[in-house]
Amino acid sequence: MGIAKRLVLGFAAVCLAIPLAGCWDNTDINHRVLPVVMGVSKKEGVFRVFLQIPEPGMNRLRIRIVSETGNTITHAVDKISTNMEEHVDLLHVKIILLDKNYAREGVNDSITDFMRAREISSKALVTICDEELPVFFANVKRAMEQRGSTLYDFFEKNAGWNPQIALTRVWQVYRSIHSYTRDVAIPIVRSGKSLMIEHRGSAVIKNGRMVGRLNGDETLLFNAFSGESTQGRIEVMKSASVLIVSNTLHNRIGLRGRTPYMTSVLKLQVVLLETRGNPTNEVIMNELDELLTKRFMTMFQKIQSKQADILGIGQFYRMIIPRERLANWREDYYPRLEMNLRVQTNIQNTGFLNSP
Amino acid sequence: MEAFLQELKRSLGSNDDLFEMQYVFLGQVVTLLGYTTLTDISMTVSSLQQQEHNARGSRVGEEAFWHTIGSVHPLSVRLAVSAVLDGQVVLLIEGRTAMIVVDAVQRELTRAIEAPSNESVLQGPIGSFNEDLDTNLGLLRKQACTDSMRVLNYSAGVAQRKRLSLIYDARHADADMVGKMIAQIEANLDREIATTQTLSRMLGFTKWQAISKFNTTELPQEAVSAMTKGKVVILVDRLPIAYVLPNLLWDMFALENDRNYTVPIMIIIRTIRVIGVLLTLLAPAFYVALVAVNPEVLRIEMALSVAVSREGVPYPAIVEMLLMLVILELIIEASARLPKSIGPTLTMVGGIIIGQAVVTARLVSNMLIIILAATTIANSTVVGFQNSLSIRMFKYVTVILAAMFGVLGIMAGMVLLCSYLASLHTFGVSYINLSFKGEIKHG
Repeated sequence: MGIAKRLVLGFAAVCLAIPLAGCWDNTDINHRVLPVVMGVSKKEGVFRVFLQIPEPGMNRLRIRIVSETGNTITHAVDKISTNMEEHVDLLHVKIILLDKNYAREGVNDSITDFMRAREISSKALVTICDEELPVFFANVKRAMEQRGSTLYDFFEKNAGWNPQIALTRVWQVYRSIHSYTRDVAIPIVRSGKSLMIEHRGSAVIKNGRMVGRLNGDETLLFNAFSGESTQGRIEVMKSASVLIVSNTLHNRIGLRGRTPYMTSVLKLQVVLLETRGNPTNEVIMNELDELLTKRFMTMFQKIQSKQADILGIGQFYRMIIPRERLANWREDYYPRLEMNLRVQTNIQNTGFLNSP
Repeated sequence: MEAFLQELKRSLGSNDDLFEMQYVFLGQVVTLLGYTTLTDISMTVSSLQQQEHNARGSRVGEEAFWHTIGSVHPLSVRLAVSAVLDGQVVLLIEGRTAMIVVDAVQRELTRAIEAPSNESVLQGPIGSFNEDLDTNLGLLRKQACTDSMRVLNYSAGVAQRKRLSLIYDARHADADMVGKMIAQIEANLDREIATTQTLSRMLGFTKWQAISKFNTTELPQEAVSAMTKGKVVILVDRLPIAYVLPNLLWDMFALENDRNYTVPIMIIIRTIRVIGVLLTLLAPAFYVALVAVNPEVLRIEMALSVAVSREGVPYPAIVEMLLMLVILELIIEASARLPKSIGPTLTMVGGIIIGQAVVTARLVSNMLIIILAATTIANSTVVGFQNSLSIRMFKYVTVILAAMFGVLGIMAGMVLLCSYLASLHTFGVSYINLSFKGEIKHG
């Protein structure tokens, strides 16, 4: 084939590629609005969607809150998009804030739709709001415009995240809806009085419905159990407070008839932060072991009674229990589970002072 | 004899700088013929007279004298013409059927050995090739200083006869590849070789290569290092560059002069060149892709600041990018064309346009200026100007694909580019061979 003919063919191929690519539908970044937080509430079958849109000015960040109602979430977002001068692009949504009542009712449909449409990143965090969404957004807007920060910094591991806060993504909630053996905990927030937002523990979500609550200390244990690296501080009741610097977990599982049992050893490396009086290291260690074991067992009984397996213990039994029976894990096996947790702490460091 | 002189003059044409003079040497009338513009006549004649004087003194016979002043040939118009064009003088003796090609004193028509003008050398040998083939060969001999260097001389072209030398290191070069090259050159000696394009036609390469088949260098050090790596160097008279064959991908990143530093520094320098090439190919494409097609890839802070910088820009990202890239290409081309004394004006005006005015006028975003500056700087880190041209061209492929398909398009562009590079081969050696030493991987 001659060079000229080849060039003509190549040129024709490029010309064909341009109309086939559909690139005229691309919207430049300055013609998109990029909401960071999306709030969803549902009252009497009608969704109300809030979008928090940061609007960068020349020297300060402004926050714009828009809301719209609709029979579906997409419908509401569409209405917003129609009424705004720019195209609403949900790809940058980092946090999905669900109304508490809506969460109790069950968020299966919404989460499934998020996963289906892929308009919202499946990595977006899911949280529950403990107050009315309009109130929350109004308060947060006021606080944030003063500080120039955005809400999601609160959940960023390299920014404001604390080990007392559960981190759960859209895909994890979706997994919990469909998995036989895994549930999730998602954080609960409300607007704070002196600070921007206030963390109010975690919600226990079972099959997409909120069934219970954990407080911050219990969430810390939940995070430690899930292997999230925690730098959590724990107050030992009487004598000291310590900082967890690393944690490892060893599990042993078994099935006795229809009763599953589990022995877990949680090893914590801690650093001494404060002491009251002159407790010895042994005293602190023993108190810590006792406190954490008790706290864990309380939490575990709570979630066990709700049949919500947020720790994912059922995952360990996937190779033991056949799949058809595994479908009843939450109802048949999980409530009977005998949990035996031992906490072993090691005081790695007593700071710059010698401990007695 | 007279008829031969007439025929010779006819084939040389009527030229005012052609001289024809009669002298008497050892009692014989001789005619000297040559170009005054190529030969220094007075010096040549006085040197001939000096030799005649010496011959008289030592009683050397007439026949022996003719052999001492030059090479004696039977009468041949073709040979005489090429000798005269080469700057030699043809001496014809009255009443004889032989001619003598006298090695005349040449006029100084070549510049001295200077520092390279297109490549700069840091802490290394700085003398570079000039237009004279013999000087260049000498530089190579001096630099290589080895008994295994082989030089083959050819004269090619019909309208313009140019000398061409093929040099290789017999110890390192692959005999098979050298044999192929020699056969190719010998079969095409009637082709013109005045430029790189015609030379590559002679060597049988296609005209439509986006990457040069030759690696060109002005530095004897680089040419010799290429020879010790088994490559072949081609020198052409009147071209102050050495053509190194085959050109390999790694030549874009490695200079022999890097070895004048310690190994860690050499590795860092070469890594910077690799980064430079990747940045040139990717930075403009990523700007277009992230601004227009896939803004979700950016962190939100970055997305917001890019959005602010594009506030009020009327064109889509691809138009913006192509506009500025073309202006930049114009500046580069213009600064290559302009005389050195006017060059700074251009840089200044270009700097004002690209630096501030175009952003203040809200034609493009200031983010784009950063990308553009990074691209232009990165582009220049590549070894060899011809490689930098190729990379400059390839970036348009990734930019256009990025505008259509976003980040995926960039990947497609890189795959396209890699497959193109992989398809290139020179005399059976694939372009993407990293090293040439040891076993040659024949493509």
